Amino acid sequence: MASPVDSKAPKDFDVAPKSRMVHLKTKEETRQGNETIKVWTVELPSQDSVDLQHLRRFAKPKYLPQHVIGQRDLVKEMYAIPRAWESTPLAVMQAPATTVWEYSTPAKLRSSNRPPTLHLLICPVHVIALADLHSLLLDRVPFCSSADSWAYPLQIKQVTVPLLAPTSPEQADAWSSDYWPTFYRKTNPFGAHPATIAKAEDDLQRPATGNLGVEKAMTLAKKAGIETQCRDYGIGPGCVIMERADNVTEIIAVAGDARQKPLLGGSGIPGGQGGCNGNIMGHAVMRAVGMIGRKRLRVATPLISGRAAKAERNFENCGLDHDEKARDAFFLDLPITPLEEQYFVKDNIKPDGYLCLRLEVFLTHEPCMMCSMALVHSRVGRVIFANRIPQTGGLTAEMIRNDSGPVGLGYGLCWRKELNWQFMCWEYIEPKNKDTGNVDQDNKAEAGGGELKLMLNDNNANVSSFASTHV
Amino acid sequence: MANSVFGPIPNREVHEGFMRKAIEMAELALASDETPVGCVFVHKGEIIGRGINGTNASLNGTRHAEFVALAEIMAKHPQSILKDTDLYVTVEPCIMCASALRQYGIRAVYFGCLNDRFGGCGGVMQIHSDKSVDPPYPVYGGLFREEAIMLLRRFYVQENEKAPEPKPKKNRELKTEILPVNVATPAASKPSTPMPQG
Ligand SMILES: [Zn+2]
Ligand SMILES: [Zn+2]
Repeated sequence: MASPVDSKAPKDFDVAPKSRMVHLKTKEETRQGNETIKVWTVELPSQDSVDLQHLRRFAKPKYLPQHVIGQRDLVKEMYAIPRAWESTPLAVMQAPATTVWEYSTPAKLRSSNRPPTLHLLICPVHVIALADLHSLLLDRVPFCSSADSWAYPLQIKQVTVPLLAPTSPEQADAWSSDYWPTFYRKTNPFGAHPATIAKAEDDLQRPATGNLGVEKAMTLAKKAGIETQCRDYGIGPGCVIMERADNVTEIIAVAGDARQKPLLGGSGIPGGQGGCNGNIMGHAVMRAVGMIGRKRLRVATPLISGRAAKAERNFENCGLDHDEKARDAFFLDLPITPLEEQYFVKDNIKPDGYLCLRLEVFLTHEPCMMCSMALVHSRVGRVIFANRIPQTGGLTAEMIRNDSGPVGLGYGLCWRKELNWQFMCWEYIEPKNKDTGNVDQDNKAEAGGGELKLMLNDNNANVSSFASTHV
Repeated sequence: MANSVFGPIPNREVHEGFMRKAIEMAELALASDETPVGCVFVHKGEIIGRGINGTNASLNGTRHAEFVALAEIMAKHPQSILKDTDLYVTVEPCIMCASALRQYGIRAVYFGCLNDRFGGCGGVMQIHSDKSVDPPYPVYGGLFREEAIMLLRRFYVQENEKAPEPKPKKNRELKTEILPVNVATPAASKPSTPMPQG
């Protein structure tokens, strides 16, 4: 509000007007603030109902597309009796050069000097039958028998309108001229608010001094995957989870894929026979999320740790086996490399936080459905992954791209309104020249539509070798 | 679609016997103020793993009953045993668990009630049967469905009574009327209970 200059001014001038002129309100503006009317409203389930908030309810004729104005009047048609002997009815004529039917009615004669009208969008046609709507309206002013009914003959038209809200002002303009006056509300009804996305991209691409940016985080994720891979624990994917508290970033968990790390139960490499999927719990996302739970337990206040301990005792109450070593070997939610250890041992998480609420997740690969849903369950805030995995990835919503063919299964789990949590998600385009640190937008395209990199190690893993692997 | 998971189940009595064990797990969980979801994994007629929800103990939102039971199995058996193993769980597995079970190669999944918030076997998505690199698995729903729902409702009422500011009374009443499944859409068959775990 007050600028620094203002704040130095004497107290009396604290609210000094910036302008010496106060524009007088018009009569209508004054009225606007005080007058109300009573209206009927009803509450509807929003999930299955048609939501037309993006359309103007009342529209002046001049803002309607011509073809809407000229749309056939269905009331007339409803009562029209086909009479073959009146082959070219005099009362009906087709307007020249249009396909629009004009009915000459007594009202037409008066319509030239009647007061301005509005067109009201009533409801989707499936909600009420034409005949029912007609008889409902015919009972009401101005359509019921009265002097006005001559000036306003009841006409009901069926027009086509966009079902869903536009995502840009240009789209809204196009729809307004093609269908019906349409609002663009500067929001994205189908995803995160554009400003929220811009803020996140700014945080990550131009990090404040001392904060971690996306490039360093991605490099660390890659390193985490290499660390477990070179110990023969995993196949290369890595995950980094970061907390941003009071605008300061902290890396709170680092995990590499460890699906090949032997379990305690007699099988050596898990899934060695039959399935070669390995220990599914060893996926990098599952491990990192588990490590955060572990860290939360460690830094919890007595209230929270007491609750967790009570829940832990439930396992015994329920007569469940309690082999902690076997459990840890299965869930792999403790560090298994020095790099993981380095970040795990730091008590650098805000105490008593909820799961992974609004944390930021950096991944070398698009996670599988299990891991994608684990991120939803964990309430993460931002996810950035480097490589799409078209056959198993759970985050990509598109299925086909014109230029590159199949890109994903189409689940788009990061933003599904039928689930109770949504998060922002980006595909990461690696900088072309690692030294400059500049993100090169063309890199991806040049490398042949996603068939690039994942230079995990000098060994042979690349994206195509992951094509049918769950990450 | 979703209702197809409530189709006829061959040898229903046998499966009811194992689902009874899963219900018992859920009841034990409820008695300990834990979300009443229970499961058992059955291999050649023998229970090889049992689970209740572990999210509160681990502060890990992914530690569902299915995973808790799998940890017990993997402590003693090779992972490949799952190819001849069936899961009985009181509530339809969530999307995460449904995907994990498919990656593990589970033979079949039997469940009580649909999970209309996160369900991965018909409730919200069809992860068990969608096109995928892994073979699909069959799912059979509706075994002791009413009991599974009642457990969740009892939990809800129980939790609300403990809440510092109890919700209005109408929300705390234990609803005992459950819609028959053949007229219930997934939405109508849901328990009036928040179901963060499943
Ligand atoms: Zn995964
Ligand atoms: Zn689950």
